[in-house]
Amino acid sequence: MNRLVWLIALLIAAPAQAQFKLPDLNINKLIDTAKGVVKATREIDENEEIAIGSDVAARLLGAAPLMNDLRVQRYVNNVGRWLATQSERPDLPWHFGVMDAPQLNAFAVPGGTIFITRGLLEKMHSEAELAGVLSHEIVHVVRKHHLKAIQKGALAHLSAGAAGAALSNVNSEARNKLVAFGTEMYSRGLDKGDEFEADRLGVVIAARGGYDTYGLPAVLQSLQGMNAKDSAVALMFKTHPAPGERLDTLAAKMQPVLDSYSSQPQLRERFAMETKAAR
Amino acid sequence: MRLLILALLFPLLGHAEPATVIRATELKSEPATDASTVAQLPENSAVEALQRQGGWTRVKAAAGEGWVKMLALRYGGPGSAKKGDTGIAQIFNVARTGSSGTQVTTGVRGLDEEKLANAQPNPAELEKLNNFAVQPAAAAGFAAKGKLSAHEVEYPK
Repeated sequence: MNRLVWLIALLIAAPAQAQFKLPDLNINKLIDTAKGVVKATREIDENEEIAIGSDVAARLLGAAPLMNDLRVQRYVNNVGRWLATQSERPDLPWHFGVMDAPQLNAFAVPGGTIFITRGLLEKMHSEAELAGVLSHEIVHVVRKHHLKAIQKGALAHLSAGAAGAALSNVNSEARNKLVAFGTEMYSRGLDKGDEFEADRLGVVIAARGGYDTYGLPAVLQSLQGMNAKDSAVALMFKTHPAPGERLDTLAAKMQPVLDSYSSQPQLRERFAMETKAAR
Repeated sequence: MRLLILALLFPLLGHAEPATVIRATELKSEPATDASTVAQLPENSAVEALQRQGGWTRVKAAAGEGWVKMLALRYGGPGSAKKGDTGIAQIFNVARTGSSGTQVTTGVRGLDEEKLANAQPNPAELEKLNNFAVQPAAAAGFAAKGKLSAHEVEYPK
């Protein structure tokens, strides 16, 4: 018999747990890698999404802490939870937080965590404007924009085996890398198309929640009036299409919905009362 | 003077802001399509934006005061310089220049790319976040107090 046949015979006869060390070939590693590929390319289930989101949220809070004001935090949670209830994923563990940072920004984290900065809250004039921004972020979660980008990044930047481990094993080194990558994604931004989708569908979520639909356009208009070189908006402008372009797109695609629900409440007074601590 | 009075009357609405109409637009006497037309504003007319109501913004134009579609407005019109830096960068610079010239960690810089790149998990803040959560029933009560009512609206095709 030649060598190959001997080798095959040996492979069949050996117990499954045994390590086969062939020159430059580790069969167990190959099997792990194959499992990793399957894991990293399949759809991430909701529990995994929530766990990944929780890790990313903890990192973001390492970058900027929460505003230390229970009233404003509860207020934003009330508005956010009410809107999330109008979405296609009402049963996620939704959390909303106001970060104590002067920059103007908002972040959607997989699994239902949404942050808005004190700087952006300060720039707003009504609950409808807050609702417009939170609805935009809720769409990112509902459509899994960040989750898909994280998964794509995991496949591109980690070996397939490590990507699989990172998604399912919360304490692995690969997981740390994945979460760090997921956090840095907020510096790089999503595809433009995801942002435009979040604008369009966000207007619908705000309308469903009973708010004046012009809240989001009003915030975009305020942003559009700011100097793009202002360091308070540098990161947000880098990671989003220009506000003027977003307004043009909303005008082109959403005018009927915007106008059908524009006389719904703006709630300026309640907003001013409840967000006093932020201004 | 009249602008000043308006600004005093509407402290929550912000002050008048220089803006431009991005297309030829009718200046209306009321915030409604069927309201009477005060004037025709040509494309790129400079106006002062005063107050928003739904999809309409009250403006002061050379031709008079009235309402225009808010999506026809862009702030910081031609020739009107946009507002400068809010000063956050300067605060950063102070925080960044120690005697050694290297970054010091005492200043609050808020949230920028560098912070995101170097962020370490903060489990204590995450726990606070979890404690702020509101349940759907409470949020529904909050919405009712604000006279918000939910209804079905389809996503656009």
